[in-house]
Amino acid sequence: MRPLTEEESRAVFEKLANYIGKNLIHLIDRPDGPYCFRLQKDRVYYVSEESMRLSISIARPNLVSLGTCFGKFSKSGKFKLHITALDYISQYAKYKVWIKPNGEMPFLYGNHVLKAHLGRITEDTPEHQGVVVYSMSDMPLGFGVTARATVDTRKLDPTSIIIFHQADVGEYLRDEETLF
Amino acid sequence: MDVSGIIASNAAKYQAITVEKETPLEVDAGLLLVTDLNSIDEESYSANLEDHLQALARDGVQSLITSLFALPTQRSEDGPLAQLPVPTTALPRSKPLPKPKPPTKWEKFAAAKGIQHKKRDKREWDEERQEWVNRWGRDGKNKQVEEQWITEVPANADILLRHSDVDFDPRKVARDERKARVAKNEKQRLANAARAQGPREARKQEIDQTLATTRISTASMGKFDKKLEGEKKARGVKRKFEPTERPLEDEKNASLALISRMDSDAKKTRREPPTEENVLNVRKAVRFASKGRGGVALGRSAAGARGGRGGRGRGKR
Repeated sequence: MRPLTEEESRAVFEKLANYIGKNLIHLIDRPDGPYCFRLQKDRVYYVSEESMRLSISIARPNLVSLGTCFGKFSKSGKFKLHITALDYISQYAKYKVWIKPNGEMPFLYGNHVLKAHLGRITEDTPEHQGVVVYSMSDMPLGFGVTARATVDTRKLDPTSIIIFHQADVGEYLRDEETLF
Repeated sequence: MDVSGIIASNAAKYQAITVEKETPLEVDAGLLLVTDLNSIDEESYSANLEDHLQALARDGVQSLITSLFALPTQRSEDGPLAQLPVPTTALPRSKPLPKPKPPTKWEKFAAAKGIQHKKRDKREWDEERQEWVNRWGRDGKNKQVEEQWITEVPANADILLRHSDVDFDPRKVARDERKARVAKNEKQRLANAARAQGPREARKQEIDQTLATTRISTASMGKFDKKLEGEKKARGVKRKFEPTERPLEDEKNASLALISRMDSDAKKTRREPPTEENVLNVRKAVRFASKGRGGVALGRSAAGARGGRGGRGRGKR
């Protein structure tokens, strides 16, 4: 376990800022006590100071997980967000998408969101913007990236892809071994 | 009324403010330091250690405070303040004395010629502007010519240029001169640093570098070479990470600084138009007017409506 280097922090922050924008500051500067990012076996964990200090005493091979896993670094140094970060991302999300009940299951099986399944979308969402996907009952289901800007979606046919799938809560079952 | 009994009982409650010892205590008020040179009284030491230590400490503190109250005082908002004298106890230095810097080439020359060093102010009086200006740096006087909005062209400008085909640019000439001075200074600084290191060190570095290159310059990148006895493994660059137990406050500040830097980077790449002047969001307006097809499509259709040359636009209308 170690703190992130500057390049690593930059990669993580850029990815997070794609979803939550300036709210990123609220993750770092929290009023309810200090939190930090820690790297353990190429995974990035968001963890309170207290549990971080406790886990310092655990040897690296024995430390399985700590805090909340936000994602992992690929071998080429890119950062990939995991679904476990959804709790924090959905709290601060800038752009949101609600999908209809008949679109929930396809999304939860790892498919992209089609226009037919789109319930609501935040006004003025740009293209290729990270968005959080909610069910109509405001339950966060996952996150993705918009394929088109909001205004451009009007003219599309119902089978075209609106949101590219990135992560969904179905991964808790599908990728149980590798997720945390 | 006889008050002697009360006075006696009161005096018994408080110990004497003077400390009597075989060897008097040495007090250094400047360092708030008291040294007790008396030998330890073994009887009271073995009888009750805690009491013995407390008595010793009490004597020391008492003599220190007595000496403090004898010092001259100064008035302040928080009450009188004693003015401490200069410390008399010499404390040893914790670090060795810094080595004198090796003299630069100029310093050697100046010493040989007896030239005195004159410290120049960073600021200089500007007669025209009637104010103090920086000699160099931000709004420096050395950049005055190149920052002027109008500059006189010298009469011999074409001779200075020596038949080149570009126009004479006084600002560029001044800037080039300044940059050349900076480059020359940097070159001299590096030369001084190399000279300070000594020829032996420089040679050693060079040999190490050559050795490292030759060792990996075989077909197998040095993997299957015969190793000499006692040959050391080539060292690469070692990664260094921040300690995990660093105070989180530092880490938080570093992260916030990084975020603000990322913000400013993003602003540099896509500069947003000033919002006060533009009540109209041009991008949004274009999107609305062109029904989301973009400015090019809007221009084309507008040209078509005017009966312009765009054949495609006219066909649709």
